[in-house]
Amino acid sequence: MHFLKLLARLAETDTESLTLTGPRRTALRRLAQAGTAALPAVLTALPQPAVARDSRTVQDVLKLALTLEQLENAFYTQALQQPLSFFGTTENQAAIQTIQGHEQQHVALFTRLLVNAGATLDLTPRFDFTGSKNGAQAALYPDVFTNFDTFLRVAQLLEDTGVRAYKGQVEYIQFDNFLLESAVRAHSVEARHASHIRTMRRQRGATVKSWVSPSDAPIATTGSVAAKAYAGEDSFTQYLAGNNLVPFVDNLPINVAKPPLSQAAILAKVAEAFDEPLDGLTATEVVSLFIY
Amino acid sequence: MSNITKSGGDDAEFAKPLYTPIKRRSFFMYAGATAGATALLLSGCDDDDDNNGTQPGAVSLGSGDVGVLNYAYALEQLEAAFYARVVASPFSGMTTDERTALTAIAQHEAIHRDFFKAAITAAAPTQIIGSLTPKFDNINFSDRTSVLSTARTFEDLGVSAYNGAGSLIQNSTYLLIAGKIVSVEARHAAYIRDLITPGSFSGSDVVDANGLDVRRSVSEVLTLAQPFITETINGDNVGK
Repeated sequence: MHFLKLLARLAETDTESLTLTGPRRTALRRLAQAGTAALPAVLTALPQPAVARDSRTVQDVLKLALTLEQLENAFYTQALQQPLSFFGTTENQAAIQTIQGHEQQHVALFTRLLVNAGATLDLTPRFDFTGSKNGAQAALYPDVFTNFDTFLRVAQLLEDTGVRAYKGQVEYIQFDNFLLESAVRAHSVEARHASHIRTMRRQRGATVKSWVSPSDAPIATTGSVAAKAYAGEDSFTQYLAGNNLVPFVDNLPINVAKPPLSQAAILAKVAEAFDEPLDGLTATEVVSLFIY
Repeated sequence: MSNITKSGGDDAEFAKPLYTPIKRRSFFMYAGATAGATALLLSGCDDDDDNNGTQPGAVSLGSGDVGVLNYAYALEQLEAAFYARVVASPFSGMTTDERTALTAIAQHEAIHRDFFKAAITAAAPTQIIGSLTPKFDNINFSDRTSVLSTARTFEDLGVSAYNGAGSLIQNSTYLLIAGKIVSVEARHAAYIRDLITPGSFSGSDVVDANGLDVRRSVSEVLTLAQPFITETINGDNVGK
């Protein structure tokens, strides 16, 4: 867990002074409290379902968002230091520039939200986008900054992971409309990025849709950490309030194709039509591939 | 909410396949209704359409979470009807990649539409709005520019609507559903925008200086959507 490593590093560093606190500090002093801690004792005393509960705090949510954005910002910034020949065309270079600009704005936004709430910022992690942990192990993507196709594969992994990670966090900030809206609006920008990266890859010959599809050629080895970024994304089960399943599975009410699609083909479209969330621990695990 | 909408009737027939093993007859009703633009439009013209609101042709989306669901259902109906027309009568010069992608988008939107129909039918069967009658008179479906610019309008509008509605939703399951759909709409939006102007996937007209996507209030969205819908939509109480 790199957060633990960061905490250890923070302990030996002169950290951000608390005088940086802003007006929101008092209101958000409970930032670091666990979500369940605020429940009345009578509720917490009730028998809990036999499912592990993730008790993330608002601070956890914001720090995960910040780490994701720092990772993406560093990734695109390093790419932009490469010569034009790396990108092939000025259009490609300009697109990466556009995306990097947004990631930088997201870093600034989540930094500001954390600081204004009185949180202590962690040190910016150290990144290695080859996945070699600074040479400590074999590189996963040795040519990430020399081969544009490898770069785009990693970009897709990061953007798709970002989209799923935000989605997995919204329930923990639902009570704060400002934070919620900031997160969902950053989230849909990540989805726009992911779509463009995917379109670029398709134009370069990759088998990939602009949206996450079961028909996409996998970009990670089965069983690898990177593959966790896509695990469950092909789900075609959707639930309503009260855990009621919408049974796309057994029925074929939806068909706009001529001739009509098979049931399997429709379910593949259902899988495409909904992006799935990724829990915080898995998102952190994927992100940690590139942190040492 | 007494002034809301209708129940039963043809809508219940259409919703039924989501709950019971499909019958051949209802499956073909669906396939037929969505296969062609004409049939789709007709399906929006059920004869019990006009009992939705306080005045003929008026539709109230209702209040609370159900209002938000009806709001999403209305927008998804609009998008689904639009793309069904696009696929049924492709504009001249549509490439293979475009045809594949626009067909997929049509399917996604139809799935979203039917999902909300099922969701509202399950949560508040008496409060679901009926089938809306799209008004696409100003769209030239044989013209690439006309179709793609309308598609961009609908996709960016959808993204901004979901982004603005998140804070109106009380139930966390529905909030997550909105999140699952908005990112797919954003992927559509980026794809369509790149078709019009390569590299405009997240242009400064939709992403602000904080790197945040556009958000719109219910009334802002409905003002922009209303010209494409025959019925007058009232969203005054959505999320309240």
